[in-house]
Amino acid sequence: MKTKLILVLSALLAAGGVRGADTPAPVACCPAPEAGPAVAAKGAAPAACCAEMKPAAPACCVEVKPAAPLTARSIYQLESTWTSDAGKAVALTSFRGRPVVLAMFFASCEYACPVIVNDIQRLRAALPEAVRASTQIVLVTFDTVRDTPAALRAFRARMSLDANWTLLRADEGAVQELAMLLGVKFKQDARGQFAHSNLLTLLNAEGEIVHQHAGLNGDISEAARALALVAK
Amino acid sequence: MKPPACALFVALTLVVTGGVVRGGENLPAGFPGAATPSGPAASSEPVRPAAPAGMVRVPVGAYVPLLRTKDEPERVPVAAFWLDARPVTNGEFLEFVRAHPQWRRSRIGPLFADRGYLGDWAGDLELGAGAPAEAPVVRVSWFAARAFAKVQGKRLPTTAEWERTAAAGFTTPVGASEPGFSAALLAWLMRPTPSPLPAAGSGRPNVHGARDLHGLVWEWVEDFNTAMTTGESRADTGLERNLFCGAGAASARDLTDYPAFMRAAMRSSLRASYAVPNVGFRCARSLPAAAAAPDLP
Repeated sequence: MKTKLILVLSALLAAGGVRGADTPAPVACCPAPEAGPAVAAKGAAPAACCAEMKPAAPACCVEVKPAAPLTARSIYQLESTWTSDAGKAVALTSFRGRPVVLAMFFASCEYACPVIVNDIQRLRAALPEAVRASTQIVLVTFDTVRDTPAALRAFRARMSLDANWTLLRADEGAVQELAMLLGVKFKQDARGQFAHSNLLTLLNAEGEIVHQHAGLNGDISEAARALALVAK
Repeated sequence: MKPPACALFVALTLVVTGGVVRGGENLPAGFPGAATPSGPAASSEPVRPAAPAGMVRVPVGAYVPLLRTKDEPERVPVAAFWLDARPVTNGEFLEFVRAHPQWRRSRIGPLFADRGYLGDWAGDLELGAGAPAEAPVVRVSWFAARAFAKVQGKRLPTTAEWERTAAAGFTTPVGASEPGFSAALLAWLMRPTPSPLPAAGSGRPNVHGARDLHGLVWEWVEDFNTAMTTGESRADTGLERNLFCGAGAASARDLTDYPAFMRAAMRSSLRASYAVPNVGFRCARSLPAAAAAPDLP
């Protein structure tokens, strides 16, 4: 698995598809919610966005070559459109260029979801500084009805999530498709709560699944190693 | 069971048994007519668009889950909908991949189908002896099945819709209480799968006019990933905490419904990219609001 990963990674680097996250390079924007019109649409002229970036977020600017086709294992092949908690339309390809920690959740969750957030915080804390700065965190809600952008904003505030976190919602079809790609099972019960797999998925800069971490409150060291490897 | 619906079932059954239903050719000239009420039913249910060609109308009903948590209802209401009368065939799927090259065996990406995809076919656009045109297409992933449905303006049925339809007997809405029905299902489970598979649509229609829900292939449903009753071996489901507080095993609806356990086990073992022998699919469509209304009590 790891050997394969390194091979894939070196192939990518050799192809010049992705630069390291700390490379000061021409610009597309990460979908940080407070960063203005931050979502880098496919092929959009990148110049306008960086001016609005907060200076404190250097890792946000990475080179993305929109022309390069997505790899066969990139989950960014999903063409669905998502809405962030800032109310902005987001295509999954906008996360291209930096590693991602992806989890599915719902904001009114009573048990597992705060633990998932806590697990991701622990994972971040276990990362070397440079890797931490380049890693994006994406939470996708199962709850297509109640988790409006406002509800997601409230969740962000309640959990004190910084600009590295993106919270996304979409229609049922898109959520189902993503869940299927990740291998996440979920089911809504009569009270509106969702039973669901507790799964962190790590994506490399191309959106390929490089590691999945199952369960709550577990040992995240292997996930941290996997992430450090792809963020190099 | 109200009389008008009963009359409809009879009408449907007659047309289905009388009509020529052979895969490969376009299904059932008779179906659209079949779904239009006639005789006594017509006066009480004036507005009902005919089911699209090849589909049957499944009236409003309820799905009784095999397993449920204490928070889940015993009966899940299911609105009336249209369902393909039989599983999608190799011939139909071939037309689809001709028109949509990204779903051909040589083109599909590893995320959307594993290496078994369309493995019974002789080539990218060639069925061959292992995959007769009128036999149900199998070795299709959930993604491919869903893409096929979308192109037809349809969708995959939900677990509730599929199970609600499949619970019907050959002549009555409740198969479990129909003499011989359960035995017929069990007989299928004990029979090895013939190769190649027989034509889709050659099985006996159930009371709604749907054929081969049992006895031919397993079928994808839109939300097969809700089947997590066993939990995963990696112990990563949030459900376990709720489900396995002793209520899980005790809540099985009917411990003798062996085929239902088999389907639940099959669904919980699938991943969306799996392209395995014996798993095919059929499509569904929601009724337009006007068509759904007359069924409601």
